Amino acid sequence: MFFVFVFIWSFALFAGVTMVWLLAWAIRRGEFQNPREAAKMIFDEEEPIGRITDHFPGERS
Amino acid sequence: MIQNQILQNPIPEALRPELEARIEVDTYSRPVIVLYWSTSLFWLTFATLAGLISSIKLHSPGFLGGMEWITFGRIRPVHWDTAIYGFGGLAASGTLLWLQARLCQIRLPFRELLLVGCVIYNLGIAVGVVGILMGQSTGVETLEFPLYAIPFLVIPYVFIVIANFNMYWRKATKHTYVSQWYLMAVTVWFPILILSAEACTNFGAVDGVAQAIANWWYGHNVVGLFATPTGIAAAYYLIPKVIGKPIHSYHLSLLGFWSNAIFYNWAGTHHLTGGPLPAWTITLGVVGSLMMFIPVITIGINHHMTMLGSFHYLKTSPTLRFAVMGSMCYTLSSFQGSLEALRSHQEVTHFTHYTIGHVHFGMYGFFAPLMFAMMYYAMPRLTNQEWSSARLIRIHFWCTLVGMLLYVLAMCFAGIRQGLMMNDPSIPFLNIVKFTVPFLMLRTLAGLILLTGTIAFLINFSRMLTRHTFTYSTPTLFTSNRRWEDILEKEKELTSKQILDGGQGA
Repeated sequence: MFFVFVFIWSFALFAGVTMVWLLAWAIRRGEFQNPREAAKMIFDEEEPIGRITDHFPGERS
Repeated sequence: MIQNQILQNPIPEALRPELEARIEVDTYSRPVIVLYWSTSLFWLTFATLAGLISSIKLHSPGFLGGMEWITFGRIRPVHWDTAIYGFGGLAASGTLLWLQARLCQIRLPFRELLLVGCVIYNLGIAVGVVGILMGQSTGVETLEFPLYAIPFLVIPYVFIVIANFNMYWRKATKHTYVSQWYLMAVTVWFPILILSAEACTNFGAVDGVAQAIANWWYGHNVVGLFATPTGIAAAYYLIPKVIGKPIHSYHLSLLGFWSNAIFYNWAGTHHLTGGPLPAWTITLGVVGSLMMFIPVITIGINHHMTMLGSFHYLKTSPTLRFAVMGSMCYTLSSFQGSLEALRSHQEVTHFTHYTIGHVHFGMYGFFAPLMFAMMYYAMPRLTNQEWSSARLIRIHFWCTLVGMLLYVLAMCFAGIRQGLMMNDPSIPFLNIVKFTVPFLMLRTLAGLILLTGTIAFLINFSRMLTRHTFTYSTPTLFTSNRRWEDILEKEKELTSKQILDGGQGA
């Protein structure tokens, strides 16, 4: 029983510390500096903003 | 005509590297993602059949009555566990790996390990199902799989967690997209959830009421902190990507993520309203549930505002149809869930069919359509094949929508009437049971409609895998035939290179 609790708490602590560390890492890396740019990162010159990328098969006009 | 198309859409040389990079990412992850998704569809069909048997047994108790291994107490947990771990776990893992590789713009790492992991995971589900059918269920809801099946499920998940963090660590992009927040969080939350819950219930770290709390903390969170984030991650990628419009407000999406992370965890105890728990634990669950209005409204507004002015694309895009259906049902089912947590509401609907209606609204209205949307979008890009039939896609969509609505409306209406009648001591219990029978039959009908949709999808999916697809001038995803040819050529190049490398990569 005791070991189960030790396991749960140490695991939760490990995960918690990892996440805080990741957050600090992301801030240092400048992830939060320009959220508008982050919203556009799924587009590129090949599939730019304004291009529809899905149609029913054989029905693309 | 094709010639004209090529002339009209020549590819500027400068764009080729981006296209080639994306082809490389997709081609490399193909075997893993296709295996995860195809096995997830097997379990979806299995779960639907198990659900149908359970449903029929409720209005016709003699149905398959002679077989003790599919009595209601066994087949019903098999239905839920194969739906959440079989279909949900595998579809969500495939989504996570494909999306993360795409958003990080790197090749999927540990490909062979992930393939082996998928086989072990499927074996684990099969072992768990056989265990339950043999009568070895643990009896703890949502954790019914016998303990000997658990390592099969945990070990492959460790591989996925490692691959996910590895990709994020090595990502080639400067920014983090909102979907990645959710995908990273899932791989941290889920291991804590399942290991703590197993320890507290099946390993007996706590007893009695505390065990029930741990059980429902898990039961609720497996939906909210595992299925929901993956579904939302898919929606945040697919809706903007398909209509070619960035998400309405990136700030709102971050607010939605953090409020979901903070509040969802507390909501589980609302399942035990009226039970012998300290009142404050239930109050905490109710408050947590009501606070969920914040992420739900935030996410709902964000998706709606992104779609505004683009709703006409629902006619032409199968991915968008499923993604928008999923997003709308997320908002509606979450509103329903938050209100359902109130004590005054529970007085009527607790222990009735209403709860079952709500669960299916979330799983088949929100989560499953978003996983289908993901498959409809990604599979042509992974296999370089077009979906073989637009009609089958339409059948799948309408069966999913109509079946789900019929199921949810029948169960919720029957549940409210059932609850009101149960609160009236002058009504004999048998009369209440008889009242629900027509609605239970409607549920079976809804299940059959959902199964029809699943079969249509399976046909389309397997035709794609066996390459029995119609060849149109170009797959939907490319704007010219030339690009398709480029992609096929690049794919050939990569395949031969991988053979020469001895399968090494990443």
